[in-house]
Amino acid sequence: MNVRSADDLRAGDHACAVPVSDEGLWELTARFLACGLARGEKVVYFDDGTAEWVLDRLVEDRSPVRRALRSGQLQVVSADVTRGAFRSPLSDVRSLLHSYADGALAQGWNGFRMTGQQSYGALAPAGIPLTAYDAALDEVVAERSLTALCLYDHTHYTDAQIEELRGVHRAELATASAYDDGLLRITQTGQTSVRLAGEADHSNRPMIQRIIGETLDRSLRSAEAGSDIELNLASLRFLDVAGAVLLVHAAEEFPSSRRLLLTDVRPAVLRVLDRCGAPFAAQLVVREARVDPTPEEDA
Amino acid sequence: MKVESRVPETTRLRHAVQYHDGPDDLRDRAVAFARATVRMGERLALAVPDDVAEAVYSAVGHAGVVALVTPRGPSGGSGQTTAALRARELRSLVQSDAGVTVLAAHDPALDGFDGRYWTELDAALNLALDDLPVDMVCLYPGFPLHLEVLEGARANHPYELVDGALRENPRHRCPKEVLAERDPSTPQVLGPPDVSYRYNSWQLHEVRRMIARLAPTLGFDPVRAEDLVLAVNEVATNAVEHGSPQAEIQLWAMTGGLVCEVHDTGDLGEPLPGLVAPHPAEARGRGVWIARQLCDLLHVWRDAAGTHVRMHATP
Repeated sequence: MNVRSADDLRAGDHACAVPVSDEGLWELTARFLACGLARGEKVVYFDDGTAEWVLDRLVEDRSPVRRALRSGQLQVVSADVTRGAFRSPLSDVRSLLHSYADGALAQGWNGFRMTGQQSYGALAPAGIPLTAYDAALDEVVAERSLTALCLYDHTHYTDAQIEELRGVHRAELATASAYDDGLLRITQTGQTSVRLAGEADHSNRPMIQRIIGETLDRSLRSAEAGSDIELNLASLRFLDVAGAVLLVHAAEEFPSSRRLLLTDVRPAVLRVLDRCGAPFAAQLVVREARVDPTPEEDA
Repeated sequence: MKVESRVPETTRLRHAVQYHDGPDDLRDRAVAFARATVRMGERLALAVPDDVAEAVYSAVGHAGVVALVTPRGPSGGSGQTTAALRARELRSLVQSDAGVTVLAAHDPALDGFDGRYWTELDAALNLALDDLPVDMVCLYPGFPLHLEVLEGARANHPYELVDGALRENPRHRCPKEVLAERDPSTPQVLGPPDVSYRYNSWQLHEVRRMIARLAPTLGFDPVRAEDLVLAVNEVATNAVEHGSPQAEIQLWAMTGGLVCEVHDTGDLGEPLPGLVAPHPAEARGRGVWIARQLCDLLHVWRDAAGTHVRMHATP
């Protein structure tokens, strides 16, 4: 199986991914869940202290989270239940997963997909290794044709655990980014659009400068490119003063045919930009994050 | 960015001193100056001790007279902090008006050990108010308890007001020189900090995390907490960017807010950073300026060990 992104996963797929950073983890998890929502599948997240970040990221990605939670399409399984599963015999876990998958179909969903924070299982609290639970999951995936993504990030797993768990999965998702230092993650979302996630400060400021320069060059070389270079800041949680000044100056130095567009800017970042002269930069357009994050609800 | 200064040379700060012989003379001179200012239809801002303010109000009333705030308590005692606050207040006053006249007077209650508060205040005002259309007259005692008060006043004021006329003061020196000749104004020593953390520029996010975690427990609302994180981040960044590769942050959780000190072993080129409103084209110096706007106290001092910053913020 050659799976390249979360969008390619289909019913009967059981893949793993090893995100290099927390931001990469939220990005991938949200992407996987959002695909299931778009396909009309029942989507379950087995939480263990990370659901808040994942739900935030879904909102930042403009996924219809609230609607999905209300209708039951998206379900966050509490940490107690997640941890309880890893203290139960394999047969119990298998029947638990069967009941989830069968229930989803009985409720009329187009399928069932699941992911979550399973790092508690790596401690083998019942003396059963996580690989055994993963093998049980693999059987259920085949029997019930569900979609499962196992996430092994460096915060929750040791390198040895990651290598072992990687070995038992047939498919691994790529987690490509233009830059990821564990604090700031930059992904190319289009020819002239980039997304920043995490925190931008003195330590990674040069990367922002570089990515703006590269994106501008690409835009200038391309005949079809529009006049805007877009930086989506929905998941940028911190921007320091020098970073804000950099964005303002970068826009000022753009050729007159181009504008720098900052979109989905969070309130705290917006205040820094305002204090650094963003409103007076002619070629800088700042669009704040929508106050109501779930406009789809009315649709 | 091409932005010209909006303030023509002729309407920048004019900072003058006038000496008095004692409390009665101080009140008489203050009242006379206030009367003359109000008679000319100018707006008057007061930074004088309470008894002097009362005398002025009973002579000219309250109309057209604004009282400026002098920080006291945990945010007091720092001339540069008072100057930053005064710049903020005066900037908002002159935005709607052509200019403002400020009457200030020495208050011995703020002398501290040695009166150096006043020297730092006037030096900092010269920097912070430089581009504002402000006429400022400071009433100082001719025979103060601390000689430093007189020496500072002589060095910091470009003008002297004598018999109602401004005369150039030949002893005037620029702020950098005035401060370089004096010992650093070290703030009162606090007890051992609640938290102490050494960091480098790759660990600034840990500094931010510490503040973000602490702020809600001290009563800061989410927006104020974010601003506090930004203020501390800017000072902490400055220390490792311009000071030394390693710096130390210390935190004191107080009932009235957060006190934070950042120490580096480097030498900050300028004695009082972040007082001059940053020019839009100038990338440097904006961080500390913004931090000063967000904190109740931001005091920078330098000694043989390096550069030190104390911040105090209330929810």
